[in-house]
Amino acid sequence: MSKELIRLSDCVVKFDDEIILDHLNLYINDKEFLTLLGPSGCGKTTTLRIIGGFLSPTSGDVFFDGQRCNDVPPHKRQVNTVFQKYALFPHLNVFENVAFGLRIAKRPEGEIHDRVMEMLEVVNLKGFEKRPISALSGGQQQRVAIARALVNRPKVLLLDEPLGALDMRLRKDMQNELKRIQQEMEITFIYVTHDQEEALAMSDTVVVMDGGRIQQIGSPEDIYNEPKNAFVADFIGESNIIDGIMRSDGVVEIFNRCFKCLDGGFDKDEPLDVVIRPEDVDIVPESEGQLKGTVTQVTFKGVHYDTIVDFYGFKWLIQTTDFCPVDSHIGIKIDPDGIHVMKKSAYSGMFGDYSSYSEEYEEIGDASIDPEEEGSGDEE
Amino acid sequence: MKKQNSIGSRLLIALVFLFLYAPILLLIIFSFNAGDSSVVWRGFSLDWYGKLFQNRLIMESVYMTLLVSILATAISTIAGTFAAIGLYSLKRRWRSPLMTVSNIPTVNADIVTGVSMCLLFGVFFMGWSSFAGWFNAQELSLLGHILQLPERLTMGFTTLLLAHIAFDIPYVILNVAPKLRQMDKNLIDAAQDLGCTWMQAFWKVILPEIKPGVVSGALIAFTMSVDDFVISYFTAGSSTSTLAMTIYGMTKKRVSPEINAVSTLLFVTVLVLLILSNVLEARQEKLAEMRSEMKPVAQRKPILPPVFRKSWLRRMVAGVCAVSLLLVVAALSHVTGSRPVVNVCSWGEYIDEALITQFEEETGIRVNYQTAESNETLYSLLKSGGGDYDVVVPSDYMISQLIEEDMLTELDYSLIPNFDLVDAQFRNLPYDPENKYTVPYAWGTLGIIYNENMIEDEITSWSAMFDPKYAGKVMLINNSRDALGIALLYLGYSVNTTNEAQIREAYQLLADATNKGVYAGKIMDEVFQVMEGGNAAMATYYAGDYLSMLENNEDLRFVIPEEGSNWFVDAMCILKDARHPAEAHAWINFIASTDAALANMDYIWYGTANREAIEQYPEYYLENYGEELDQETFDIIQTPPEVLERCEMYLVLPKETRDLYKSLWIKLGV
Repeated sequence: MSKELIRLSDCVVKFDDEIILDHLNLYINDKEFLTLLGPSGCGKTTTLRIIGGFLSPTSGDVFFDGQRCNDVPPHKRQVNTVFQKYALFPHLNVFENVAFGLRIAKRPEGEIHDRVMEMLEVVNLKGFEKRPISALSGGQQQRVAIARALVNRPKVLLLDEPLGALDMRLRKDMQNELKRIQQEMEITFIYVTHDQEEALAMSDTVVVMDGGRIQQIGSPEDIYNEPKNAFVADFIGESNIIDGIMRSDGVVEIFNRCFKCLDGGFDKDEPLDVVIRPEDVDIVPESEGQLKGTVTQVTFKGVHYDTIVDFYGFKWLIQTTDFCPVDSHIGIKIDPDGIHVMKKSAYSGMFGDYSSYSEEYEEIGDASIDPEEEGSGDEE
Repeated sequence: MKKQNSIGSRLLIALVFLFLYAPILLLIIFSFNAGDSSVVWRGFSLDWYGKLFQNRLIMESVYMTLLVSILATAISTIAGTFAAIGLYSLKRRWRSPLMTVSNIPTVNADIVTGVSMCLLFGVFFMGWSSFAGWFNAQELSLLGHILQLPERLTMGFTTLLLAHIAFDIPYVILNVAPKLRQMDKNLIDAAQDLGCTWMQAFWKVILPEIKPGVVSGALIAFTMSVDDFVISYFTAGSSTSTLAMTIYGMTKKRVSPEINAVSTLLFVTVLVLLILSNVLEARQEKLAEMRSEMKPVAQRKPILPPVFRKSWLRRMVAGVCAVSLLLVVAALSHVTGSRPVVNVCSWGEYIDEALITQFEEETGIRVNYQTAESNETLYSLLKSGGGDYDVVVPSDYMISQLIEEDMLTELDYSLIPNFDLVDAQFRNLPYDPENKYTVPYAWGTLGIIYNENMIEDEITSWSAMFDPKYAGKVMLINNSRDALGIALLYLGYSVNTTNEAQIREAYQLLADATNKGVYAGKIMDEVFQVMEGGNAAMATYYAGDYLSMLENNEDLRFVIPEEGSNWFVDAMCILKDARHPAEAHAWINFIASTDAALANMDYIWYGTANREAIEQYPEYYLENYGEELDQETFDIIQTPPEVLERCEMYLVLPKETRDLYKSLWIKLGV
């Protein structure tokens, strides 16, 4: 595995009496694509600003390549940033925007030209050098911003919700593009987003944050399949989270019924949260079901139906390709590997009930205005 | 119906614009008047513009105004821009209240700003003088010998500049702040992220973004500075005068066409600046619009303006910088030039300015010539310590008051050999019985000016001023001393009486005439317009001014009534704390010379005390105008001794009498 490049050690950030980061510990490896994922106000942008040098932690240390760098100003760090809404310089054209960092560093003219042109090629903007920024589309501006940061050959590229302002299709394209560039340049990307799909699709490592704390660090698969608590389970994908009791290793009781599972190592009779992903539930005739329930709502989603089923007053979301009409009585079966148990946490009971299900997913990954972005300028 | 409406509204718009611009239009038109009246049109000429450039008082104040405005603009633009950036990067909770606070000065009454600054400087000077006194008294070994702090500070260029900077800054902030708000705040972070220090980020990113705001802020600050009168008036002290202040000083007597000319130029300058700043803003808005309209379509017409705009702006900013630098250099050489100087305070339009230049050339002493509006203003200025003058030219009664209060210094007449030329008639006058403090400057008489065409009888008595026969045609002079004075004269009492019954009798006379509708109004300087335009038949005013009016209206006549009248003398004195006594004596001696007296007499049409000048004036007139001076005119300028015998000079009245005058005057209804 590659070596550690950045370490945040016990970082606390407070604005007035509000705690933004609560004793954060995080290390980031070289050439890693790491994503900070979380809802607005979770502290992900603050973490990024600490690494960029725009913010000093109230307490705690930041190490870069083993050196403490709390007080190193942004312009002396080998880190470059792609900002929300790009922050391109409107008074300069594409070429000059990309060349900006090199000119500040007083590189020779020839080198500037070569490096800028090379970088414009990497981001597929060859031939746009003379364009004013105002004549570019959102996607093109995005590429300029990336080129402007990468041309300085930073060790780390910080990306602060860079795709937030793009429309859906463009976003998907840029995700692939970013991944390609990261692999091509062989540098560390630290990526901030609130869009879980984006995070899962691109990252080597995902850091899920909430309330100024890290909830879970892991590969996308880990995060999805083995969420550590109800918050992560709910934030990453859709989950039914039910109270359960661990009767013994591999046996968990839900609704007074025992289910086989693969988890173990808990105390006997320990209460815990059980996560069942909507796609891991099979619908069977009522008589064959481990649990029996009534369909209350069906929504066609293209690939599958979102079916809401009422089990003893608790509503589940089941994603299935079989159509079950409303008010039909059905049974369900869950394979042992479809059941994931988590220790009880502060988030228990807050998520995972679909009683208030609406046709839209409770998805935060909506490209609308992020309230955190409004506040962040003031926090400096 | 609809059509009528639109005509009606157009008419309304036209009327509104007429109402707004008629006065300025009139001013511009009369600035091209060949004659010197502001009522009578005598044909087109550019004379006044020519004279304007030769008028040193105006040109010096134009120079001062430009210097102060440009320096204040440059400094406040820099300070204001950084202040705006500072405010912008504050937390919102602090930003909004601070922005509001920083905007208050723009809506605050100028007079409040002016007075408070005047107060601040006064307090500071007092503190400084005690500190400097203490500091200089300390035998601080080496330091004490080299460094002697000036103990007396006065208001002047520095305080004026500070005041202008202070009131310009909010305007700059007001213009820069919106541009900052429009700017993506990540731009600064982005620049620093790309290797800029904060200062580099400022120059390379912030400044280009907010430049339109900075430029329009600077333009508005400059306009405000050039325009300002009230704040300057309170902070410039006595030895510095901006254009607006000079114009105000000059209107003391009348609105001279020169003022029309300079006001026209001022109006045009400000107009051009405003148009410039508006055009800049409009262009900027248009650009922003284009930018936001820009669809993410690959092919679009390239926008041309940015390139043009940038180089154009850059050139302009560079130009302004260069000009201001030049002016700073010029100002420094001007200020540091350690020529001897004399500070003179006189009245508006009361000297032939060629004399000032002549004096400067002959002696190498620079004359700082200022004007006050009235004896009372001068007195309060001196009392408040604001007047840093050497020579003042108060009127008789004010001189006795100044002597009484020990504010004048005894003259060294050995330094004023020209005093010998002063006629005996003008020595040892009541205000300076032993003639220790004064040298007469000019003198004149009060009389009745009337329009022959409107009054059939020949006027010989003050009775005409109270005669119901002339109801509605008479203008009463608008100051209590003169108004009650003519009533006292008519009743046969002394103008200096302290007898309450006599004064009340005089008041009754005025009150009766007022009730009978004799007076169309009470006026001072407006008398020029009113009498020249034939809007009133009769008024009381001064002899010299009558001759000015006569030039524009030949039907006017002047008489010193048989009951006698008031005559007054304005005399030169040196203040007790004058800083340039030697230069002051030289100036007084120069003005007392026959040549200077002749030139002044010819220019201001007031009498002189110089014996030789009185004798030589007819000859001088013939030489200069190629025609004989008629005796009647000469008698008006230089009232003959036998008439003067009937005239009485005002003396200082005791406090009770002054209070009586005041209360009666209020009762009469001012």
